[in-house]
Amino acid sequence: MSGLRWKLSAAIGAVLLFGFLTVSNFASEEQRLASPLLPDGGLRLGLDLRGGIHWVLGVDLEEAEVQELGFWADTLRSAPDDGAEFRVSEVRVTDGTLRVSVPSESDAEALDRWVAPSGALDAVGEGGGTERVFRLSDLSAEDARRRGMDQVLEVLRRRIADPVRGIPDSVVTRQGQDRVLVQIPGGQIDRSRARELLAVTGHLQFKIVQGAGESVELLSAEYPDGLPEGTEIASEIDKESGRALTAYLLPEQPDLTGDYLKDARVGFDTRQRPIVEFQFNTEGARRFAELTEANVGNQLAIVLDETVYSAPTIRSRIGARGQIEGRFTSQEAADLAVVLRSGSLPIPVEIEEERTVGPALGKDSIDRGLRASLLGLGVIVLFVLGYYRLSGGYASLALAANLLLLLGIMSMFEATLTLPGIAGIVLTVGMAVDANVIIFERIREELRNGKLPRGAIATGFSKAYWTIMDANITTLITAIVLFEFGTGPIKGFAVTLSIGIVTSVFAALVLTRLMFALHPGTRTVETLSI
Amino acid sequence: MFEIVPPGTRIDFLGRRHIALVVSLALLAAGMVAAFWKPGLKFGIDFAGGTEVAVRFDPGTDVDEKRLRELASLCGVLDDPVSVVRYGETERPEFLLRFNRVADGAAAAEECPVDAADVARLEEVSAASNPTGEGEIDVVDLLTLAMAGAVGPPEILRVEYVGPRVGDELRRDGLAAMAYAVLFILIYITFRFSTRFAPGAVVALVHDILITAGILVMLGVEFDLRVLAALLAIIGYSLNDTIIIYDRIRENMELRTKFDLEDVLNRSVNQTLSRTLLTSVSTLSALLCLLVVGGEVIRPFALAMSIGIVVGTYSSTFIAAPTLLFLEQSLGDGHGGSGAKAGSGKKARKKAA
Repeated sequence: MSGLRWKLSAAIGAVLLFGFLTVSNFASEEQRLASPLLPDGGLRLGLDLRGGIHWVLGVDLEEAEVQELGFWADTLRSAPDDGAEFRVSEVRVTDGTLRVSVPSESDAEALDRWVAPSGALDAVGEGGGTERVFRLSDLSAEDARRRGMDQVLEVLRRRIADPVRGIPDSVVTRQGQDRVLVQIPGGQIDRSRARELLAVTGHLQFKIVQGAGESVELLSAEYPDGLPEGTEIASEIDKESGRALTAYLLPEQPDLTGDYLKDARVGFDTRQRPIVEFQFNTEGARRFAELTEANVGNQLAIVLDETVYSAPTIRSRIGARGQIEGRFTSQEAADLAVVLRSGSLPIPVEIEEERTVGPALGKDSIDRGLRASLLGLGVIVLFVLGYYRLSGGYASLALAANLLLLLGIMSMFEATLTLPGIAGIVLTVGMAVDANVIIFERIREELRNGKLPRGAIATGFSKAYWTIMDANITTLITAIVLFEFGTGPIKGFAVTLSIGIVTSVFAALVLTRLMFALHPGTRTVETLSI
Repeated sequence: MFEIVPPGTRIDFLGRRHIALVVSLALLAAGMVAAFWKPGLKFGIDFAGGTEVAVRFDPGTDVDEKRLRELASLCGVLDDPVSVVRYGETERPEFLLRFNRVADGAAAAEECPVDAADVARLEEVSAASNPTGEGEIDVVDLLTLAMAGAVGPPEILRVEYVGPRVGDELRRDGLAAMAYAVLFILIYITFRFSTRFAPGAVVALVHDILITAGILVMLGVEFDLRVLAALLAIIGYSLNDTIIIYDRIRENMELRTKFDLEDVLNRSVNQTLSRTLLTSVSTLSALLCLLVVGGEVIRPFALAMSIGIVVGTYSSTFIAAPTLLFLEQSLGDGHGGSGAKAGSGKKARKKAA
């Protein structure tokens, strides 16, 4: 009997431990932190239950290669000035290739010698004479894609999932080759604002204003022969009405960019209106000082993503600090500061998949899931009690223990519970009883064949053993396949189903068996209530 | 002691195998007709791609499908007609909008009854997301504004969007998952049951999947990830009953050296009938609870799974054993199969017993 006692204590211990883990999920955050006994983590709720935004973003890594080619085009253009031994007539980037025209064949040979050592560009056959065609070598293309992906992840993390200033509990992770998974738990940010965080590429530029007019039309009318070379028109837009205010004639190439920013934060002007204050790093401060010194009296346009935010007149030389005024609300100012701080998104991203659940639906799903689980549990318990009486009571106890084990294990691994996950639990409740039914029916059959209760129980359990194993292993196989292939909430179904299968088998084959072993009247047919 | 199947029940299941064959073939054919002709196999947005928006209004809001359909068409949804379904039973009207094609850029907002300032704000966001400055205005945002203005404050319950690339991938992965699940189970069954039993189990398995899917198509259920999860679970679960019966057949074969196969099969099915029915009833009752109170989101799963369990119970009783008989008769000698042939699983079972 000592073997039985040992098994019994182990089983009760396990159920108590996991039961405790299950119950501790109901403790509040403060209680968890205050008590040394309560675990810090626990069951997490999926976004479909909590409400929240789930995005899979596609990153256009082709663009990273194009940008890398663009970098080489710039390098080649300036190479002669930087001491290279060749002259360049024209450099173009087309269809993923870099076309370089040079004045003479000797320049072309010098160009070849200059390009070869870097290993970044491969010559393509088409070129000849005074033209050379290159494309990125596999190695540097690979490198460009990797760097592009890293940058996108970095920027999005800083904007969304920064541990200090980001949105609490949000997640930004890489998914596959060229995708980013963004999860923002509910109620903290609405969908269109979150979209804004993604959308704004955060390309901050400073340009000296060369002309201004009341509207784009009026300003362009001043240049009947077309805009002066290297300039463009951009408008200041009123945030409230969306109307274009003043139009400015600006140089195409920025005089200074936001790449030199060190920090940006929300501040207030003298009339307590929100503004964005920024600070340059050392190099940026030096350049900004030079620029402002040379242009005192001129207007400086602060351009973010092609839109002029403000164009203050430079009164004196400015060093490291500046500010952007743009009739912001405090929210807009805060968002802009985040975007400036995180730097620009080097490659555009596109939402490829979205699963956004409002808080109301999430709460509704929890209620309904809970109700379905309890109802299912109730129906099943009534069914086994009615059909198998005392033995049904054992099965019900085993079922309750099974649920504690299932939820306890999930809490231990800090697994995520989703609505399909709840469906998996309900299914587990139904299937867990299957194992008991298989055992009990077998015991009944053995009793009918004249076996004594003790023998019938032993035979019942042993004959049912492999049947139960087979039946559950096949279901486990499909659950694992689903886990491998499934995405999002559906994965939660695979998780609860897999764990539920393991705990069900344990509950039926170990726990119910122990209860029968403890059964006081296993000696006579009359007292075996099955 | 209450028993749903009285001891000594001897229903001649095998003798009625032809009826079962006709029923199954009829169901299969009906499923095929439904899938390839009418009403046709329908994919949800998970597999077909598209946008789905579930929205709820305050009680007493004057709104119907037609109104929302008009608004959607005005605000850049190109599908004609836009799919709008009213659902839910609460006094707060709930609708599900579904569309696949949306207008590009500012064209979406041209006729939409919303403030120009709001449109400008959306435009700014979307244009900035694209370096060429030609972003698409988010139709869901636009529509939300339009509904707020023209109908009443909408509560957006859920927004799901699946892009074409993701839809293709999910479809491919879904098929691959089904194929892998069947393959692994096939391997497991062959391993556990010997080649003699495996084909019957696989026939029953494929039968269950096809017929369940066929019934779902006939009911007009859309195939999405939830239904896929249910079909996968059915692949795993439908074997449960078959395994119970096959285990018993093997056991009965081992009892005697000489027997009439049809008699053994019939006896085995009858002996396990209460088990087969009870396990299905228990799982089914849990699923029916889910179907009834689990809510809109989980309903397709619960429905698919419930149907699958009923079909699985039918097939393990009427299809699995006859398939075994058919295979034995056409491939082997049919009679006098001896327990010794029962295969590799036997050793394990003996040990367990």
